[in-house]
Amino acid sequence: MASNKKVLLKVIILGDSSVGKTSLMNQYVNRKFSNQYKATIGADFLTKEVTIDDRTVTMQIWDTAGQERFQSLGVAFYRGADCCVLVFDVTAPNTFKSLDSWRDEFLIQAAPREPDNFPFVLLGNKVDLEPRAISAKRAQQWCQAKNNMPYFETSAKEGLNVEQAFLAIAKNALAQQNQSVDLYNEFPDQIKLTNTQKSNGGGDSCAC
Amino acid sequence: MADFDVEPGAARDNVLVASESFENFEQMSSSLEEIMSVNAISTAAEIEDDTTTNTQEDITHNQENGSEINEKQEDVENSLDWTNKRKHIFVISTAGKPIYSRYGNEDKLAWLFGVMLGLFRYSRDSIKSIHAGDTTYVFLSKKPLILVAVSKTGECVNQLTLQLNYVFNQIVSMLTLKRLTKIYDEKANYDLRRLLTGVDRLIDHLLDFSENEPAFTLGAIQCLPLAISERDSISKIIKDACSKIRNLVFAILLGNNRLISLVQMKKYHLHPADLHLIFNLVQATESLKYSESWTPLCLPRFDNSGYLYAHVSYLADDCQACLLLLTVEKDVFFPLSEAKQKIVEKLRMGNNLEHINTSLAALEESALATGFPELRHYLYKCKSTVQFYQPALCPPYTKNKVRLIELYKRAHQKMHCPTRPLKLSFERSSDEAVFSWDTKGFELYAVFEPLIDTASAINCVSKLLNWIKKREDKLFHLNAYTF
Repeated sequence: MASNKKVLLKVIILGDSSVGKTSLMNQYVNRKFSNQYKATIGADFLTKEVTIDDRTVTMQIWDTAGQERFQSLGVAFYRGADCCVLVFDVTAPNTFKSLDSWRDEFLIQAAPREPDNFPFVLLGNKVDLEPRAISAKRAQQWCQAKNNMPYFETSAKEGLNVEQAFLAIAKNALAQQNQSVDLYNEFPDQIKLTNTQKSNGGGDSCAC
Repeated sequence: MADFDVEPGAARDNVLVASESFENFEQMSSSLEEIMSVNAISTAAEIEDDTTTNTQEDITHNQENGSEINEKQEDVENSLDWTNKRKHIFVISTAGKPIYSRYGNEDKLAWLFGVMLGLFRYSRDSIKSIHAGDTTYVFLSKKPLILVAVSKTGECVNQLTLQLNYVFNQIVSMLTLKRLTKIYDEKANYDLRRLLTGVDRLIDHLLDFSENEPAFTLGAIQCLPLAISERDSISKIIKDACSKIRNLVFAILLGNNRLISLVQMKKYHLHPADLHLIFNLVQATESLKYSESWTPLCLPRFDNSGYLYAHVSYLADDCQACLLLLTVEKDVFFPLSEAKQKIVEKLRMGNNLEHINTSLAALEESALATGFPELRHYLYKCKSTVQFYQPALCPPYTKNKVRLIELYKRAHQKMHCPTRPLKLSFERSSDEAVFSWDTKGFELYAVFEPLIDTASAINCVSKLLNWIKKREDKLFHLNAYTF
């Protein structure tokens, strides 16, 4: 692909409520932080442009609601994601325990073609807070077992590691995209000028 | 009212596929089903046994050409100018990735595409429209894409849906539905813009085109006025030059957005909606003027699963009519190029080029010039042949054609409203009086001076129908030629 082609990456942020998903996104996109907790209703959408190896990449960030009552809405958004960001709160052990179910649910709903190679990134947020419940080592172990998922310790409040984490997210997603470039120019699309044979195209078009 | 048995413009052979402009548009069919349905509705078409030549030809798709997308304006997306646009059109993938935005850079609007998908998903994919104040939001789900219109034009949901359908068909005409579906089956996160380089320009043009031309609302085609003997002689020359070429499906000659001649393979018919896409392609692609082109093209109503291949060229430097020869064979550029040369030679010898030029230069006369002083403008559509005629624009619409088109759209909507369609309507406002009449054979929309009384309007309409009837063999493409 030519380097000047536009690239857009769909990034989904998942994690329990109040782990700081929206704050991370706000810090990354708007460089702002607020201590006030405002629950996300449904989902929020933000856009950020980054430059990676001379390519301009637009990240379409889907900040989903962590609260359980919005779950059914969230899963409808998973399909077609290029990267999934899992977030937990390093001071809240139960948010770490939920990671498995977040990841599993994502893989079921998004149904990526190669679930083992789908790019995830784990963020341990709120490292500015004490006391810490989940050590970096424990989080890294979890990541190792998950096909070496990259792990970043972040603080949305102080902007710590946020930029780096999102850059890694974009790079991972981009690498994944580049693996399968244009397989799509090869389909033989044939029109059969015949009245005796059933055409393939007819059936699926009516389902629209 | 008017004294004739058959409506003006009706013909023994249907040149085009007749269909209601709204209803059938929802679904696209393969050519096979199309042909069956065509045979069912065109009563005049002879029903022969199905012994057309069976040919199966593997068609591989040519590389998409890599012309650059024109960079759109920067940072307009937050401006008042952007918000105040009368009609926005968006195309989204089912994953929520932006594919097309009529105004602004779709990358910068990525968040908005997310919101639109959110609304759509939240309604469990069933939302059709939202009405908020003077703005109508229309959603059209065409797997694997979602199309959205945000309009302040006052058009109804049906009309906006029709326009979205055209946009979808434009995308399908570049990729085929089969390929489009397959791409998303394999990769839900695919960024379709990779394959649509340059197509956004065609969509831009299509949208403007469909807002300026009544052809789209009527679902019909306008022909270049030509004496019937002249049109027949042109069609015959094209037919003779191409008769030896295997698998040529359509030969289309058009100029100035009017159909001049259409010759088709026996049993195959072109749908007006496909012809509109062809008009759009020719009008939007300046480069066709300077060379012979060879391009794969899917005609969604004819067959959405595969490509036809089009040899496209203008007749001559001194005749700006465009000839398209469409075949299912992917490697017959040279035979078609030769056929085109032959056609041009014969047209030149027979003085046909001159006649085409004369008609192209003359355009239509205004209603006033043809002896209808109270009549500002009108649309006459013959339903069975899906062709229409309109006179030249005259004041006060010459500077604001869109307003006239919107008048017609409102009138058309009244006649085709799904819940309570009207047959006849006469509506007067301070600006104009609009007469609409929907009969079994034709539709007529006439815009009068505002002070005209009902009796004079009806009298005028009656005279007009007779006027059209007298000139039907010139204004319409009546005789169908086949290979």
